[in-house]
Amino acid sequence: MSALEIIVSYRQEFLRGLQVTLQLCLIIWSIGILAGTVIGVAGAHWKTVIGLPSRALSFVLSGVPVLVFLFWLYYPLQYALGVDISPFKTAAAALSIVNTFLVADLIRGVLLEFPDQYLMAARVCGLTDRETVLRIQLPIVARQVLPNLLFVQVGMLQATLFASLISVEEIFRVAQRINSEVYRPIQIYTALAFFFLVICLPLHGLAHYLKQRFTRNLSER
Amino acid sequence: MLIGQGIRKGYGGLEILHGIDLSLSPGKITAILGPSGGGKSTLLRALSMLDAPDSGSVEVDGVEYFFPNNRKNGIQPPWPALTVVFQQLFLWPHLTLRRNITLPLEKLSARSSGAAEEADQEVDELLELFEMSEHADRYPNEVSLGQRQRAAFIRAVVLHPKYLLLDEITSALDVEHVSKILEHLKVLRERGTGILLVTHLIGFAKSAADQIIFMENGRIVESGDKSLLTTPKNERLMKFLSLVETAL
Repeated sequence: MSALEIIVSYRQEFLRGLQVTLQLCLIIWSIGILAGTVIGVAGAHWKTVIGLPSRALSFVLSGVPVLVFLFWLYYPLQYALGVDISPFKTAAAALSIVNTFLVADLIRGVLLEFPDQYLMAARVCGLTDRETVLRIQLPIVARQVLPNLLFVQVGMLQATLFASLISVEEIFRVAQRINSEVYRPIQIYTALAFFFLVICLPLHGLAHYLKQRFTRNLSER
Repeated sequence: MLIGQGIRKGYGGLEILHGIDLSLSPGKITAILGPSGGGKSTLLRALSMLDAPDSGSVEVDGVEYFFPNNRKNGIQPPWPALTVVFQQLFLWPHLTLRRNITLPLEKLSARSSGAAEEADQEVDELLELFEMSEHADRYPNEVSLGQRQRAAFIRAVVLHPKYLLLDEITSALDVEHVSKILEHLKVLRERGTGILLVTHLIGFAKSAADQIIFMENGRIVESGDKSLLTTPKNERLMKFLSLVETAL
């Protein structure tokens, strides 16, 4: 069986797996981007009260592999708390937390490095605070953040594969199951790579394009 | 009149300005000279109220601004009466040079009908005058420092400020463009603009200025008309001028 034949024969299973992967992704992206933006902006504004704890948490999380964090949330934590949360929800929570702090770090960094001088120039030119935010700060910050935000989200999409290890029926687990039936690892994992290429490459390309086109050297050198 | 009184400013416990008093009249050009690190740029920022002084006051046409608690965020400088061009320029990097120039104009244009067309025409004329027309639709990172300096100068000039503070705006310009800026400053003076100019170019100051201020270590060491540059009384100014002459 060729990779194409396997995709065609097992299309229902692949589509179901892909659906779960995309559902997981949408949750992780939405929560991560929304919560991360709020925490990032708040952290840049209230550096001690929110910025410091957020940086500390982010630092701790960066030292723990995603897989270990996922397993820790799924097994020891649930056992300790005496609760039973589904693998899908656990994976969504774990990866959303990771994404949230990655996004928060990114946003806080860009905001803190935002040159005051551009705001000063806005005041000299008579712009109000609202006009300064909408016409100067937001467009510049968005241009600095967007490409890296996309890179992070592509990374999170790839990290959803870890969910298979706590029995979430996402696309990688589906591929593993099909392989155990037909034992065609080359074709199956090639088909899986194809799925990811179709989704990740355009996003990566877009991120590179945005970086090239819009990101500026804010130092003015 | 733009009047600064007893202006003090420090950073990190180090006082940069030690109680500066100066005034600028409409239709006059005052040049500030002095060695680097003497507080010239700090003075301009303080006078423009963008980096509020630690103490002292700034008066603009009878309206006095005090800085009792260094409350820099609470004061909106009088706009467009008082405008600054910084040494580092601070053109917004996400806008083309033309948009950098026209964005502040939108508010002025909104005040009267027909003003937008007039302003656009003036922008085009100034871009033409300073040989910037073909670069106007480029972004700041796509043009040279000299072109950015000219764009920042135009951005300030089109606002028709009553007082214009300029910090080393000719540092990256060739002789031809320095001369054009000089001629335009004289035009602005004729129109009644008061110009405070920080420069290292003695010749530029000599040609443009009605009044000269020599600053060192955060103090005004000597001030007077431009004869000061040919017959300095103060020893420090004498030495500074001879060093500049030697360096050139």
